[in-house]
Amino acid sequence: MGRFIARRLFFFIITLLTTSILIFALIRAAGGNVAAILLGKNSSAEEIHKLSAELGLERPLPVQYFEWMNNFLHGNLGAAFRSKQLASHLIWTQAPVSVPLSLGGFLLAILLAIPLGTYAAKNYNKPSGAIVAVLSQVGIAIPVFWAGLLLSLVLGVHLHILPTGGWTPWSDSVVGAMRSLVLPIFTLGIVMASTLTRYTRTAILDVMNEDFVRTARASGMSRRVALIKVGLRNASLPLVTVLGLLAAEMVGGTVIIEKVYSLPGISRMILDNVTAREVVVVQSTVMVIVIYVMTINLIIDLAYGLLDPRIRVTK
Amino acid sequence: MSLALKIPKIRASGIWKKSRLPLVIGGSLTSVMVALGIVSIFWVPRDVNGIDPAFRMLSIGTPHHLFGTDYLGRDVTSMLMAGLRTSIIIGSSAAFLSLVIGTILGMVASSVSKLDEPIMRMADIFMAMPGIIFALVLASTIGPGYLTTIFALTSFFTPAFVRVTRASSMRVLAEDYIAVARLYGRKRLFITFRHVLPNISSILIVQFTIYFAAGVLSEAGLSYLGVGINRPSVSLGMMLHEAVEQIGISDPLCVWPGLAIVILVIGLNLLGDGLRDHFDPRFSQRVR
Repeated sequence: MGRFIARRLFFFIITLLTTSILIFALIRAAGGNVAAILLGKNSSAEEIHKLSAELGLERPLPVQYFEWMNNFLHGNLGAAFRSKQLASHLIWTQAPVSVPLSLGGFLLAILLAIPLGTYAAKNYNKPSGAIVAVLSQVGIAIPVFWAGLLLSLVLGVHLHILPTGGWTPWSDSVVGAMRSLVLPIFTLGIVMASTLTRYTRTAILDVMNEDFVRTARASGMSRRVALIKVGLRNASLPLVTVLGLLAAEMVGGTVIIEKVYSLPGISRMILDNVTAREVVVVQSTVMVIVIYVMTINLIIDLAYGLLDPRIRVTK
Repeated sequence: MSLALKIPKIRASGIWKKSRLPLVIGGSLTSVMVALGIVSIFWVPRDVNGIDPAFRMLSIGTPHHLFGTDYLGRDVTSMLMAGLRTSIIIGSSAAFLSLVIGTILGMVASSVSKLDEPIMRMADIFMAMPGIIFALVLASTIGPGYLTTIFALTSFFTPAFVRVTRASSMRVLAEDYIAVARLYGRKRLFITFRHVLPNISSILIVQFTIYFAAGVLSEAGLSYLGVGINRPSVSLGMMLHEAVEQIGISDPLCVWPGLAIVILVIGLNLLGDGLRDHFDPRFSQRVR
């Protein structure tokens, strides 16, 4: 187990380092002249040159990268060129929107998909199972923002049950904040659940034919108990991979959902800062998001490693 | 009369076999949507950017404007067709480029052991990244458009192709006939093209349709965010972005583009499922 954890952690760090180089290269290589954009159209070459030098943007890129990384690792995520606001402060103010939304959607997806997928697999030859399978097939094809649009149209605009968008800060009203998160979380949850339901169904169908399920049945377990006790646990191996991919999808979904329900979350912040060429802020924010996703991945991996001895060996 | 009654008793065969159903439905849906997209290259009923204040917000079924018009009087039917074209071009190009690059890298990884580990770790890293964030950054820095979107999607679809190619070509390379081919003195490149590629092509075709669908969805998402396709081009995601302004005023505008995306994606996914069952019948019969 120790070796397994060490291996996972090693890969975690290598991935983050590679990602940081990619982020830096992508944003800097394609970013154009930051100082020129900051100063606007009517600036002279001299002014641009002066500001670039002031901001330290004229030094070699590797030097800038190492400085950024060094600061980042010491908890200094940099500040915006214009407003001088700290990136960490900006991220911290968006987190109460984006974190509950993304995690809520992720958990809802798992809570919906595992029972539904198991049910669909168990009843694969009955109409009820087929209905679940068809629904998940349709759900996969629905773009997350369209689901959000339709839900807010029906529940918000026409039925007035929930707010169609906008955000009530937690400090103003906890209930209000939760109310503005219900629809976004629900949207994200059901769309992600469709994919997961399908994978769960396939994984369990695969497992159903295995000898150990037959043995469990022969030992007197009912079909249901054998499936849940033996089947689900053994089907978890392929599901770990899917959950990992879903964690990355969750961030994408969150970004889009925030836009649909006009929530002041991470997506608005990135969009604003990318447009304003606040390169340091963008770099650090993207890096924080990647760390967030990778940490969820790591937790899932380690949890399953504890549950399932095979993962410790195979990976 | 009696003939009609007898039909259900005849054992389903040919394309109507139950397992072929996804293939037939998926194939038909995809063909119809792709055909509409292709037609739009040569002909659309009205100019997709043709603003006509006299015909604003017409409802569905209006003569000459089958699906009505939007808040600027632009013809929705034409925009839907042009949007489908965009979805299809971007989805298929991204999937095709990923297929080509991913297959090459996957084959190299499976047959050159020195490069296996680096290629696979790189693929893992790309897979764990939130692609949409990168697409967002990319689009805002080098500007949105067809090429940017295709480039961003290709970067994040390729790893899946690398993994699938590597795994399936490893399986082929372990077969006895490969050992025989090696003994016979066949070079690595020959084995790859003569033996491995034909044997994994069915898996790759299925993978292609699935990522075609994923590309359609991603493009719609990016265009909805405003960083994918912009006017004068038309995209289904962009249409939904514009329709949000009219929410509560003209709700059908929010429905049609989404429906078009869903039909195309369901078609492609079913086609993928159907093809997989077709190429590998064991998959559908395995469940007893």
